[in-house]
Amino acid sequence: MSAPPLTRRQAALALIASAASLASCDRPEEEIVPYVEQPERVVPGVPLRFATALPLDGYARGVIATVHEGRPVKLEGNPAHPGSGGATDVFLEAELLALYDPDRSRAVREGTRIASWEGFLSAFLPPMRAASARGGEGLSLLTGHVTSPTLLRLIDELRARYPRLRWHAHQAVGEANALAGAALAFGRPLLALPRLDRAAVVLAIDADPLGPGPDGIRHGREFAARRAARREGGGFSRLYAAEPAMTQTGAKADHRLALPPAALGDLAAHLAARLGAPLSPPALPPAAARFLDAALADLRAHPGEALVVTGEWQPPEVHALVHWINERLGGAPAFVEPPGAAGDGPAGIGELAGDLRAGRVETLLVLGANPAYDAPGELDLAGALRGSQAFTVHLGAWRDETAALCRWHLPEHHPLEDWGDLRARDGTVSLCQPLIRPLYGTRSAAWLLGVALGRLDDTSHGALRATWSARQEGDFEAWWRRALHDGVVAGSAAPAVPPPPARLPSLPERVAGDGLALALRPDPTLWDGRYANNAWLQECPKPLTRLVWGNAALMAPEDAAARGIGDGEMIRLELAGRSLEVPALLAPGTAPGAVVLALGHGRRRAGAIGDGVGADAYALRRAGAPWSAEGLAAVRLGRPGGLLREQPGQRLEGEAKELFQTLSLDGFSARRSDPPPAPSRPPSLNPDAARDTYAWGMVIDTTLCIGCNACVVACQSENNVPVVGPEQVAGGRDMHWLRIDTYDLGTPEAPSPGFQPVPCMHCEHAPCEPVCPVAASVHDAEGLNVQVYNRCIGTRFCQANCPYKVRRFNWYGYADGQEYANQGAPVLAAQRNPEVTVRARGVMEKCTYCTQRISAARRAAEREGRPIRDGEVVTACQAACPSGAIVFGDIGDPASAAARLRQEPQHYALLGHLGTRPRTTYLAEVSNPNPALDDGAA
Amino acid sequence: MPQIFPAYANTVARAAILGAVALGCLGIGLLVALPATSHVTRQDIIVEQPVQFSHEHHVGGLGIDCRYCHTSVEQSRYAGIPPTHTCMTCHSQLWTNAEILAPVRRSLAEGVPIRWQRVHALPDYVYFDHSVHVTNGVGCSTCHGAINRMPQVRQVAPLTMGWCLDCHRNPAPNLRPASEIYNMEWRPPADQRERGGRLLEHYGIRSEHLSDCSRCHR
Repeated sequence: MSAPPLTRRQAALALIASAASLASCDRPEEEIVPYVEQPERVVPGVPLRFATALPLDGYARGVIATVHEGRPVKLEGNPAHPGSGGATDVFLEAELLALYDPDRSRAVREGTRIASWEGFLSAFLPPMRAASARGGEGLSLLTGHVTSPTLLRLIDELRARYPRLRWHAHQAVGEANALAGAALAFGRPLLALPRLDRAAVVLAIDADPLGPGPDGIRHGREFAARRAARREGGGFSRLYAAEPAMTQTGAKADHRLALPPAALGDLAAHLAARLGAPLSPPALPPAAARFLDAALADLRAHPGEALVVTGEWQPPEVHALVHWINERLGGAPAFVEPPGAAGDGPAGIGELAGDLRAGRVETLLVLGANPAYDAPGELDLAGALRGSQAFTVHLGAWRDETAALCRWHLPEHHPLEDWGDLRARDGTVSLCQPLIRPLYGTRSAAWLLGVALGRLDDTSHGALRATWSARQEGDFEAWWRRALHDGVVAGSAAPAVPPPPARLPSLPERVAGDGLALALRPDPTLWDGRYANNAWLQECPKPLTRLVWGNAALMAPEDAAARGIGDGEMIRLELAGRSLEVPALLAPGTAPGAVVLALGHGRRRAGAIGDGVGADAYALRRAGAPWSAEGLAAVRLGRPGGLLREQPGQRLEGEAKELFQTLSLDGFSARRSDPPPAPSRPPSLNPDAARDTYAWGMVIDTTLCIGCNACVVACQSENNVPVVGPEQVAGGRDMHWLRIDTYDLGTPEAPSPGFQPVPCMHCEHAPCEPVCPVAASVHDAEGLNVQVYNRCIGTRFCQANCPYKVRRFNWYGYADGQEYANQGAPVLAAQRNPEVTVRARGVMEKCTYCTQRISAARRAAEREGRPIRDGEVVTACQAACPSGAIVFGDIGDPASAAARLRQEPQHYALLGHLGTRPRTTYLAEVSNPNPALDDGAA
Repeated sequence: MPQIFPAYANTVARAAILGAVALGCLGIGLLVALPATSHVTRQDIIVEQPVQFSHEHHVGGLGIDCRYCHTSVEQSRYAGIPPTHTCMTCHSQLWTNAEILAPVRRSLAEGVPIRWQRVHALPDYVYFDHSVHVTNGVGCSTCHGAINRMPQVRQVAPLTMGWCLDCHRNPAPNLRPASEIYNMEWRPPADQRERGGRLLEHYGIRSEHLSDCSRCHR
C-alpha cells in the first residue's frame, strides 16, 4: 500500500475512465446455484417460519423467526408464548442485528493472541483436574441469571462433582430487590406476576410495568386489554403513578406524581399506615397527600380489582410493604416460585470480588456475564480481575470488557444459532432451536460445562435432549417435535403458590442526605448495556426524551436553574468520592431533588458501534443500594454536552390539542352512541380516489400506544432501513420510516405526555405527488402512495410538501456503500429482507404500508382464486405492537377491523383540515381521570 | 486585408455543421435503439453451461413435464432449478457413464452444486413471481418460447419493462386455459379474442390495476 496518492486530476481521469468502461460493459454474468440434495420443505423463494425463544435477563420471550434460504431475516412474537403473546419489544426485534453483528467474536483467544480450541483444552484440563482433586476448592463459576433447565442441570452436576465450587450469578438489572422483598413479607422469595388486565385501579409506586423488561410485552398487552374504550370494550382501568422521572407508565397514567426515590418509600408507608399498619412515616407534601387520598379511596372502592405495584428500584422493605398492602386490598397478584436454581442458589458478584481480591479463586469460568463493565463501580471488579492470578476463562459472543481481562476468551454461539431451553417469568418452558448454522467457529455454554465435567464431546443439542428425555414419559420424539413446533411446552407454567400471610417489614431509618438523590435505571433501548453495540437500538429514540446515541442525567428544571445548569450542558455528578461527566437534560416531570441516569452506556469494549457512546453510570453504582443514592452533587462544567435528540422539544401554540386529541372517559361515554364524526372534506380539485379494489388503511389507537418503540425497530428490521450514525443525527437526519411523536398536553409542573406513532399517511390527495417532476411519487389503485426509487432524482420537493414529514432522503448511501461505522460489513447483507429493495444514495423513501406483505397476501390469494381476507395482511409495526394499538386492513370493507375502528366516535385524521384525506387515521387518547383529583391539569 | 479563410472553407463549414447534426442524430438514434438490441436485452444469446443440458431432448423428445424439474413454479417466485439429485434419479440408471454427464456425477459425489449460468435475468428491483403467472393463465412458452425445441436455452423475449407492460395492460391475447399452461406448442386459437375475455373473467384478473408500480416494484 505504498503507492503515492492520486492527484485530483488523476483521480478525475480514473473516475471517467472507469465510468466509461463500466458503461460499455455488459451486465455481469450471474450464476444459479441449486442444491445438490434439496432439504425437505425448503422451497427457494418461500420463507420458512420457526419458533424459538430469546432471553432477556435469563427469561424467555417466544419468537417466530422468518427464515429465507437459511437466513433469519425477521423476528416476530410467538402468540403461544406467555412472555411475548405474539408481539415484540425493541430487544427482541434487535436481537436479529446482534446475530449478524460484525463485531461478534470469531476466535479463541489466549490473552490477545488467537489460539485454537485444542490449545484451550490442553490449558484448561490440568487446572480442572487439580480442582477436582481438591473437591473444587478455588473453582468459581460466574453466570448471568439462569432459568434454562439444561444449564441448571449441568451446573448441578458440576456442583456435585466439585462440591466446593462457588457459583456466583450476576445480573446488572435483575430482580434481587423484588425477591428479597417477597422473602421479607412471606419468608421465602416468590415471584409476583401482576395482572394489569384484572385490575380496575392500579397504583404504580416507582414502577414501570409498561416500560422495558422481561415481562414488558405481557404487561403492555394486559394493560391494553383493560383500556378498550370501544363500544364492545371490557372495562377501563385507572392508573396512578408516582415516580422520580417520567416513564412510559407515568405517561400513560391518569394521575401522576413526581417524587424523589426515598419519598416514594414514604408514600408506600403512608398507604400502609392508612390501611392499619403501625407505621408513622414522615409527613408527605400536600400534593402527595391529596394524590394518596384519592388513590386510596379508589383502591378501596374496587376490592379484589385493586393493585399496587412497585419497581425493582425500590428497596426490599417497600416491596414487602406493597405485598402487605395488596393483601389488605384483596387484589394480590399471583405468585410463583422463581424459575431458576432450587435450594441454595448462587452467590452474588460482591462475594466474587472479595474472593478474587483475597486470592481464593484459582480457576474462574465466566458464562454470559460481563461484570468488568456492569458490576457496581464500588466493587471495582475489573481491577480485581486484572490483579487476580486465577486461570480465568470467558465464554461469550463478544470479546467484551470481561473477556479482555480474562486469560482465555472463547467465542460463544448467538442464541439464534444454538439449542437450548429457557423459562418465561411465569415458568413456561420453551425449547430454543438454531435458525442458522453458526456463522463462526463458536461453541455453546453446554459444551464448556460438559468439558468441565470431563465430557469433551457434549453438544447443546445432546444436553438438551438428555435433560428432557429424562423428564418425559411416553413418546419422547412426538413430544420433542411438538415442543419445537409450538415454541412452548404445554402446561409447563409454574403453579401459582398461595402466599403465606404477608408480614410487615421493619422500615429502615431514613437518613436524610443533603444534595440530590441519584436514581439509576436500565436504559430503555440498551437495557444494562448488553445491546450497546446494536446500531438499531443506539439510534432508536428513547421514549419521552427522544435521546439517541448517548444518555443524559435527567434533572428537574428548577434544580438545574438553582445550579445554573442549562439544557444539554455537561455536568459532573459527584457521589461519595466518585464522579461522572454526563450531559444534563432538563426533563419536565422529574421530581425536584432527583437526578435520573440510565445504565448501559459508556462501554469500553462493546465494538465499533457502542464504544464510548454515552457515560458509564455503573461508575456511580453502589453494591449495597444499587438503584438510588443520596448526597449527589451536580457541578456545572460550562460546556455543551453534545446531546443528540431526534426531534428536540418544541412549543406549540394550541395546535397540540388538534394534532393529538384527547378525551376523558366521561366525554367518550357521552359520545359513545353518537354517529361517527363526518370526515373533514375540504373542497378539492383532485379526483376522488377510486374504490374499485382493496382500500388499504391503518388506524392507530393512541389510548393503547405505550410508546415502547417496538414498531420503530420492527419497521427498521422488515424494511432494510439503515442507521445514519450520530454525526448525521446531529445534522437533523434520520431514516426511520415510523416515528413516535410525543405531545405534552400538561403543564411544565405536571406534564401529561401522549404517544402518537406517525408512519406515512398514504393520503388519498397526497401533497407529495403533484410536486414530483419525475412522477416518482404516485398512487396505486389500492390507495398506497408508492415511491418509485428508479425514477427518483432527489429533488426532495415531496419531502418539503409533506405536511406530516414522513419522507426520508438518502443524503448518503446509508445502506449502499456509505454505511455508518461497520454497518457495511458483508455479514450484515445476510440480514437484509430479500423482499424489499435496498435504497441507494440520492433517493427518497418512506413507509410503504409493508407493500411486500400486501403483495405476498395478494399473490397467495390470486394463486388460490379468492380475495384477501381481513387480517391476512399484518404490517411489521402492527405485528410488533404489544398493546395492539395499530390495526391495518381494507377500509373499503365495512366488516374489516380497520373500517370498524374508523366508525368510533373518537376517530380523527391528523391534519385532516388540509384535505389530504389520509388513509392512516387515529383514535383520540381516552383517559380516565379521578373526579376527586380533577383540577383541570391532569 | 488579405482573406483569412480559403475558398473551400465554406464547404468545410457546411459539411461540419451537417456532419455534427448527422452525428447527433446518429447518437440519439443509437441511444434509442441500443436498449432494444440483444446486446442489452441479451435476447437470443446462447450461454455456455457447465453441462450441455438439452431441453429439446428432455421436453420435446421425452415429454417430461416442466414441473418434474422446476418444482416450485406453482408455489414460489422462483420456478426452481433442480438439485443434482433430480438429474440423478434417471441418470443413475440411464447413460450412467456418459462423458457429458461427468459434472453431474461429480456434483453428487462431491456434494458440490452445479453452477449454471443464468439466461433469464431480471433486474433486482423487479419482483417477478412465477407462481401467480402460471396459476392465472400465463403459460411457460409465452415468455420462454418453445423450450421443447431448444437444444440450448436462450432468452426469446426481450424482458424489458415495455414488453412486460404490453401484457400487463392487455393480458387477454396471452391467456390460456389451466390445462394448456405447460403445453409448449400452444398457439392462440382463432377465437382467442373471445376466449381471452372469458379467461380474464375466469381467473379474476383485473387488468386495469396490473400496471400499478407496486405490482412489480417495492
